[in-house]
Amino acid sequence: MPKPTDLLQGTLDLLILKTLSREPLHGWAIAKRMLELSDDVLTVQQGSLYPALHRLEQQGWIDAEWKDSKHGREAKFYALTREGRQQLERELTSWKRLSSAVGLLLKNA
Amino acid sequence: MIPRLFRVWRLRLRSLVRKDAVDTELHREFAFHFDELVAEHIEEGLSPEDARRAAHRALGNVAALEESCRDERRVTWVHDLRQDVVYGMRILRKHPGFTIVAAASLALGIGANAAVLGAFDALLLQGLPVAHADRLVAIQSVPLDNPSQLGGNSLADYAAFRDRGRAFDMIDVSIRWTNDFSAHGPGTTPERITGQLVTAGWLSTFGIEPLLGRVFTEAESRQSSVIVISHGLWQRRFGADPGILNTQVRVQGVARTIIGVMPADFRYQDPGIDYWMPLYVGPQPEAGARLFGVRARLKPGVSLAQAQADLDAIAAQLAAETPVPNKGWGVRVRPLNESLFGWTREPLLTLEAAVALVWLIGCANVAALLLSRASVRQREVALRVALGAGRGRIIRQLLTESVLLALCGGALGLVVALLGQRALLMMTTPPGSPPLAAIALNMRVVALLAVLTMCTGLACGLVPALRGADREPIRRAFPQGVLVSVQLALALVLLIGSGLLLNSLLRQVRRDFNFEPNGLVRVDFGVPVAQYAQRTGTYRGFPYFEIAPPPSETHERVLERLRAVPGAGSVAGISAPPVDSFVLATMDVRLEDSTTSSATYFLVTPNLFHTLRTPIVHGRDFTDADTSTSPWVAIVNETCARRFWPGEDPIGKRFTLDTVPEEQPREVVGVVRDIPTRHAEDPQPVIYASYRQQPSRYRAPWAGLFGQMLFMIRPAGDPVAIVPSVRSAIADLQPDRPLVNVTTMESHMRAAMGRFRSYVWLVSVFAMTATLLAAIGTYGVMAYTVSQRTREIGIRRVLGAGPREIIALVGRRALAFVIAGLVVGLASAFALTRLIESQLWGVTPTDPATFAGVSLLLVAVALAACVLPVRRALSVDPAACVSGCDGSPLGRQRE
Repeated sequence: MPKPTDLLQGTLDLLILKTLSREPLHGWAIAKRMLELSDDVLTVQQGSLYPALHRLEQQGWIDAEWKDSKHGREAKFYALTREGRQQLERELTSWKRLSSAVGLLLKNA
Repeated sequence: MIPRLFRVWRLRLRSLVRKDAVDTELHREFAFHFDELVAEHIEEGLSPEDARRAAHRALGNVAALEESCRDERRVTWVHDLRQDVVYGMRILRKHPGFTIVAAASLALGIGANAAVLGAFDALLLQGLPVAHADRLVAIQSVPLDNPSQLGGNSLADYAAFRDRGRAFDMIDVSIRWTNDFSAHGPGTTPERITGQLVTAGWLSTFGIEPLLGRVFTEAESRQSSVIVISHGLWQRRFGADPGILNTQVRVQGVARTIIGVMPADFRYQDPGIDYWMPLYVGPQPEAGARLFGVRARLKPGVSLAQAQADLDAIAAQLAAETPVPNKGWGVRVRPLNESLFGWTREPLLTLEAAVALVWLIGCANVAALLLSRASVRQREVALRVALGAGRGRIIRQLLTESVLLALCGGALGLVVALLGQRALLMMTTPPGSPPLAAIALNMRVVALLAVLTMCTGLACGLVPALRGADREPIRRAFPQGVLVSVQLALALVLLIGSGLLLNSLLRQVRRDFNFEPNGLVRVDFGVPVAQYAQRTGTYRGFPYFEIAPPPSETHERVLERLRAVPGAGSVAGISAPPVDSFVLATMDVRLEDSTTSSATYFLVTPNLFHTLRTPIVHGRDFTDADTSTSPWVAIVNETCARRFWPGEDPIGKRFTLDTVPEEQPREVVGVVRDIPTRHAEDPQPVIYASYRQQPSRYRAPWAGLFGQMLFMIRPAGDPVAIVPSVRSAIADLQPDRPLVNVTTMESHMRAAMGRFRSYVWLVSVFAMTATLLAAIGTYGVMAYTVSQRTREIGIRRVLGAGPREIIALVGRRALAFVIAGLVVGLASAFALTRLIESQLWGVTPTDPATFAGVSLLLVAVALAACVLPVRRALSVDPAACVSGCDGSPLGRQRE
């Protein structure tokens, strides 16, 4: 397993929101999906993931619901709320601005 | 946006009230994650046991994880608060002595403030508790050359306001009037009762309905046939008879029908008003005297300033139309409650200043106590810091404790406030009293209490909390020392203020009035004006009366009859109480060199000065030889003699009262010692004239002067014992005439002082409280200092220090605080007492004796507070201290 890359502060929220934008997932699946979608580069620690999920829930960007998982066991599924979707758009915009600025700097410096 | 906020608040609420359920879910969430991890490891080929172990390793400390998720809920502060409160309560319960002293200090401050501000609010800020209170005004006349002397109006003034004014939708006039009620049936007695004559709208201005029957109409006010009585009179004289309506009573010999009874709380304008009879004011009444009270209601939307402008214009018209008597007079309109209670403003502000100081001292006291305790609790705080508590968390916990303390204080303060407000309203209510006694604690006061309480908690707790949270041990007692100095200074200011007031009260009580009120029985006797004054015309704009038959004939008969009462001793009469009379006749006087001046004027009988025991310093008393046909004579007081004829012998000088043409020159035949006409005023010129030497015609407003006579009896024996025979003597003389009032001069003198007395006592009580609090504060800090230095003292004793050195060691610091407090307090008092100058009599605001005496008192109290701690310092056991025990007396006592 490659060494986990530290996530930039504040990026985790964006990644979670983006991961949830397709379908509701529980915490375990979110971690798996993020690893999978990043070609096994981005490992998110449980110690960061769960507080982040609870924070996003408290802020109203995501909603939680207990539902049956694939092997019939109940799990806490998180889903994007309407406001969460808007929040995702905002965070994406600012992320793009930031990353292009960083790219620009790296190219020109 | 809205659904999101809604969701957020629902989540927070759920975390708060269903904490267990939320925690269980959290637990399940991690259990699920754990099981998935285990399953994954098994798929990778690990044995179930190894898989579980690996999962545990991967997940780490689940408890810590859960805690960091819980932190995201943002409601942990609530749980912390609950913890702090429970902990704080436990601490407070564990130290009952501390808690009681601190809570009581706060309760006094908070409660007293709420009471005084509540009374201020009720009396001066809120309107009267009646309909349209904000539109009710009082209209008064005022001499343009003396704008502070507001007075009544004449009926002509009233008619002008009524007919020409455009600012009012109701305007009414009243006058206090005393009448004789005849016996109205078997077993009843004739009685002299005070009431009011009022115009038709007066009784309905306040929107208060009669308890029984109705008030009189405009048409009825033109006839003298109806009367409305007070609840008090109905109860007292008519036995609360429910069938009282339409009963006939005879007032001044005229039959009137009772058509209404007003409710018990209808007692505006004047105390002791027991009936209302109609007063009709036609379109063009005579000018008459300015004795009437005018009350009006502003039209909706009309401001006070507009009403004032309206009245100013009318006053100017009146002055132009009839210069006599209107020139030189203006009109003032004031809100009704201002005119009723404006006088309470200054004493209430003084009281408020006093209780604010008490509050500050209480806060300083509690802060000092908390500081001392914070140092005792160093170890506890250090332990909590070691266990990971942050500085903020500790400050919060200590603040919670002080706020809890303040809440205790606030709750107790509510009781203090209730009692205090009742006392204050009782004190201020008598003259002119809407039903204020009915006002309970209003919401504003309760809100104020709450704010005060929270401020107190934060103010008292902040410094100790900040210091308590510092891990460095507190070595210097500096802030506590400063707090003690501040307390002593504040207490000194208050003590000096109350000392000055007390001083001026004592001076008034002990003042030599040059007469002896003790043992004097006073009988008020009046001949109704209607029986001797017949209107004959107008003189200088005032109604003019023929005085016939002279009331002095009746008075002479009463005098003779009273003299015949066995044991009556010395008997005489005077037209008004010599001191603190409700009404004083002031006359213009023309001297021989035609200069004019004015003097207070009394009609008296022979033998008055002997009866009062007022020395006649020159000349002679009136005698029976001074009759209406002998040369008119007068007796003056010393001030009058000095002022009218400086440096000359007043005996034989002549003057004339500038009232009516029938007045004859009077020759001064005697000079008496000054009897001050007011308790708290310097003596003014006074002229005494014989009741027999009076003109046969007179003008208003003083025509009523002749009917009144106060008979003074100085019996040889017990003054109370003679009252029944005095009553029957008067009844013999005039069977249908009630005997007015038989009282003692002593009670008259006391009553006049009553309100000032209770006010001064109240201020003094606050000052004592402040001093007590300051003493407690001093004691607390000294005890703390000693406890801090126990080991040092022990070592010094081992090294050979005697009691003297120990006292010097501890005392030096105490002395420094006390002196600092004294200096600051004296300087502030010096600057501040000027503010109460108008409430003082006979002492200057910087009276050196008061300043010195009060300072000594405070130093004595402060030093007394140090005695116990110093004794404890002396009793320190050197062996115990050196051997390492903490030995802190404060600590021992507290734990």
